Amino acid sequence: MTPMMGTASDFEERMPTRRQRSSEIGWLSPLLGIAFAAFLHAQTPVAPTTEPVGISRGENVSGYNVRQSFELGYRWHSVGGDDGMYRGTVNYGNGPRLLSSSLSVNSLEGHGGLFDNIQLNTLGLGNDPYESASLRVEKNRLYRYDLLWRSDAYYNPGLTITGGEHFLDTVRHLQDHDFTLFPQGSFKLFLGYSANTQTGPALTTIQQFDVRGDEFPLFANIRRSQHEYRLGGEIRLMGIRLNVLHGWVDFKDDTPVNLAAPSAGNNPDDLNTLTSLQRSEPYHGTSPYWRVALFRESKLWAVNGRFTYVAGHRAFVDDESSVGFNRIGTPISQQVITLGNAERPAMAANLTFSLFPSAWLTLTNQTSIGNIRMVGNSFYTQGTNGSFITPFNAFTYLGIRTIANSTDADLRLTKWFAVRAGYEYSARRIRSQESTSIPSGLIEQENGLQSGLLGLRIRPIKVLSILLDTEIGRADGPIYPVSQRNYQTFRGRIEYKQKSWRVAGYSRTDYNTNSDSLANFASHSRQYGADASWTPRNWFSIDASYNKLHLDTLGAINYFAQIGGAGAPQAVTNNQSYYVSNIHTGSLAARFSLRQRVDVSVGYSHVQDVGDNRPGGIIICDPPTGVLGGCAGFLTAGTLVPTYQTFPLRYLSPQGRISVRINEKLRWNAGYQNYGYHEDFSGLQNTSQNYRAHTGYSSVLWSF
Amino acid sequence: MRYSWGMLVGGVRGALGLLLLAGFSPLWGADYVGSTVCRTCHPNIYAPFFRNPHYKSIASGSEKPENTGCESCHGPGQEHVAAGGGKATIPVAFSRLAPDKIVDACLRCHSQTLSRANIRRSEHTQRDIVCTNCHSIHSSPAPKFLLAKQQQSELCYGCHSSVRAQFSMPFKHRVNEGFIQCTDCHNPHGAFSATWNMAARPRMVDQAQGNEEPCLKCHIDKRGPFVFEHAAVRVDGCETCHSPHGSTNARLLKRPVVFTLCLECHNGFGNFGRRANGVPSPDASHNLADPRYQNCTTCHVRIHGSNSNSFFFR
Repeated sequence: MTPMMGTASDFEERMPTRRQRSSEIGWLSPLLGIAFAAFLHAQTPVAPTTEPVGISRGENVSGYNVRQSFELGYRWHSVGGDDGMYRGTVNYGNGPRLLSSSLSVNSLEGHGGLFDNIQLNTLGLGNDPYESASLRVEKNRLYRYDLLWRSDAYYNPGLTITGGEHFLDTVRHLQDHDFTLFPQGSFKLFLGYSANTQTGPALTTIQQFDVRGDEFPLFANIRRSQHEYRLGGEIRLMGIRLNVLHGWVDFKDDTPVNLAAPSAGNNPDDLNTLTSLQRSEPYHGTSPYWRVALFRESKLWAVNGRFTYVAGHRAFVDDESSVGFNRIGTPISQQVITLGNAERPAMAANLTFSLFPSAWLTLTNQTSIGNIRMVGNSFYTQGTNGSFITPFNAFTYLGIRTIANSTDADLRLTKWFAVRAGYEYSARRIRSQESTSIPSGLIEQENGLQSGLLGLRIRPIKVLSILLDTEIGRADGPIYPVSQRNYQTFRGRIEYKQKSWRVAGYSRTDYNTNSDSLANFASHSRQYGADASWTPRNWFSIDASYNKLHLDTLGAINYFAQIGGAGAPQAVTNNQSYYVSNIHTGSLAARFSLRQRVDVSVGYSHVQDVGDNRPGGIIICDPPTGVLGGCAGFLTAGTLVPTYQTFPLRYLSPQGRISVRINEKLRWNAGYQNYGYHEDFSGLQNTSQNYRAHTGYSSVLWSF
Repeated sequence: MRYSWGMLVGGVRGALGLLLLAGFSPLWGADYVGSTVCRTCHPNIYAPFFRNPHYKSIASGSEKPENTGCESCHGPGQEHVAAGGGKATIPVAFSRLAPDKIVDACLRCHSQTLSRANIRRSEHTQRDIVCTNCHSIHSSPAPKFLLAKQQQSELCYGCHSSVRAQFSMPFKHRVNEGFIQCTDCHNPHGAFSATWNMAARPRMVDQAQGNEEPCLKCHIDKRGPFVFEHAAVRVDGCETCHSPHGSTNARLLKRPVVFTLCLECHNGFGNFGRRANGVPSPDASHNLADPRYQNCTTCHVRIHGSNSNSFFFR
């Protein structure tokens, strides 16, 4: 049969007449244009150009069609202002790069030797902070192999977290290998391996030598790794697929921590000093897991179920010795030894049953169960100046069990109108215990949550669609003040789509109130947005979007504060924390081509948190005078004054790019992107993180 | 004149179709004509089709006609050929199908994967976002999964413009840079219900090791188990404190500063917390007027969990 049909390759060999080729170009051009415009629309950093040069047909070699492309270029950047913030938010550097590459090898007849298809794509190789490579090799019906490799150079000074004392400059490598035998068969075999490593210098802190001691920055050489091995299979019996996977996850963290130089600590007024510290804390363990799933789909019904079990185990030792002076200036040497283990078996199961009694009705019921237990013990002993305290064994237990059942109905009343409704009940029980002695009674917390949802889909005409959804939930025992108790959400979306233009708008609100007899937490999140795109010609397109993200939360807080800058801290009770954020984001992108040879694109992205028009920062009380931008002289124990938080800032990023087609196989690209970050409030931790950065690249893309 | 010319072209194509049918129909079922017939009028689609994953059905040579090539998706082509073309005569023309019918058509073959086991009850399907909204079978710029756009994030941003806004924040996961994909955390085909959280949300979030939050796929050091767990992480999940898409905080916290985030839970009120008597609030040794005490994690270093100290000091 096949010879009579001819092969695609035979056919393609006869295809490329000049007229047909130009026809293909004409057919593909709008698609390329749209793809190119879409690339800009996201304001992705100026970098890899995925635009093929002309119509890359590749070359036929030994029964395979081979296509390749390489984009080689040079990146540059210059930063004025806070370089650490630039590296934390953008992090592109200087130097030559293989910005992107791709290799595609396809069997012309679908009957290759060892393989039928190879797909290889790389991004940012050379020295970009974000590098990746993906590879797929497959032979029809026999095997499929997928590899995803990624590397992330992560830099984060964390100035607003701990004043930079939890600095991180690490590299994370991720790789995932997945091999499937008989991918289209009734029986499949899975093999997999994943690795995740994180290495590099970092800073951390420790408080010594007691709970009122000072904090000292420490150097940590992060060395973490995780290796996961997977073995599984799938079999189809009587239309039901049974999928079983077993995995082994080995984790180890051997990060050594030490004091680089004697330190007086963060508080120079006290006598606390640390002259040396060495800490070794190997933390190793495994998490073997099982996953068993079954699923079946038929015309009238569908069922799927899943059961997983993860048996997490970790063993640890913490050996720490330090020398210094305590807060009253007495020499002190301290040794801490901790050892023990922690176990966390976790089970989860889902069972979903769907009925399709007619083309216009779908009924679905799902039950899920999750049960997780954490049990551990920790032997702790501490020696101070050679005198050891009585060692104690801390025992903890945390158990969380959640059972949920939901039923949804989807009713398509007419071709243009559909309604869906659902109800879910979930019950969670939390048991916990923390003890330094023999375990006694457990503390138990329960929460029941009932939620209902209603949604409408309206499509009065083919080009117009309207979606409306609302969900209301009521919980009777949320565990935290910020957890959901009485919540409601509303989502609306409207889209009008014509051939050359599209306009859409959306609105989404999430409200939650978690009231207690003494305290109140309320969260209001509202999002609005609109976006539009217009592609009147295949050589011109324009895209624009605008979003407003509003969030305000009001939460009750209690704390101690030193009033008037002197004396002992006094209790500030029933205070309120009021956080307001009004973030406007907008992007605009345009692209046009000149005689199918030069592509020019420009874009602009603007993010601005305008707060609520108050001065930015944290105002611990009103009126804002004194310490902390603060409340000295006004604050007395028990007063109810709100704590405002608003942090206006701007983050702007214009960019431009030009791409010139030199010939059918060659294209020259250049791009420029500017980043501007500006905080409109006095710097947190007395820092200023503002910066302005210029980045760019020039590259040559070669496709063949 | 144009009308006449159109009639002439239509007549020629119809005749050609009948001729092809006469030649190839005996090899196929009564209504199936085979992909080679289709390529006569659709060369631009057929020529590069050997690169398409769906070409497997043709290369196999052993599939039934209804599972082979063009007609495996578009249905038997005899009537279409006899009519000399036209969308109205294609049994399964995706541009004319109702969304649920598109799902039906694709799931004839693609229901055989665990990751798509929940597709019919997924949020996308229930909102009429179906296969062809994201996948372009004949003109995909991304050959691996036949996505309709080169970058996966672009595809998702097309509808989720609020998410695009979140990824425009100064600090974010590196989705725009292409380092991670939306599908690293989400299953667009519908995920199993999250068992680490209550209610039905989050609905489209994938799971690590079967039943854990996807954050732990990469953030391996946060998984534990720890002897002293920060219960909030296990009970309500990472989003209790973090905004995973983007934030103005360097560690993707929900607040630009740390202590207000902590104090909103650690206020001692009500029957909250593990002990049901309020989450403990800071004691008198914490002078919140001093910036030194506003960075809670300077002392409570192991905030995700500790093996040595119930206050997460080391």
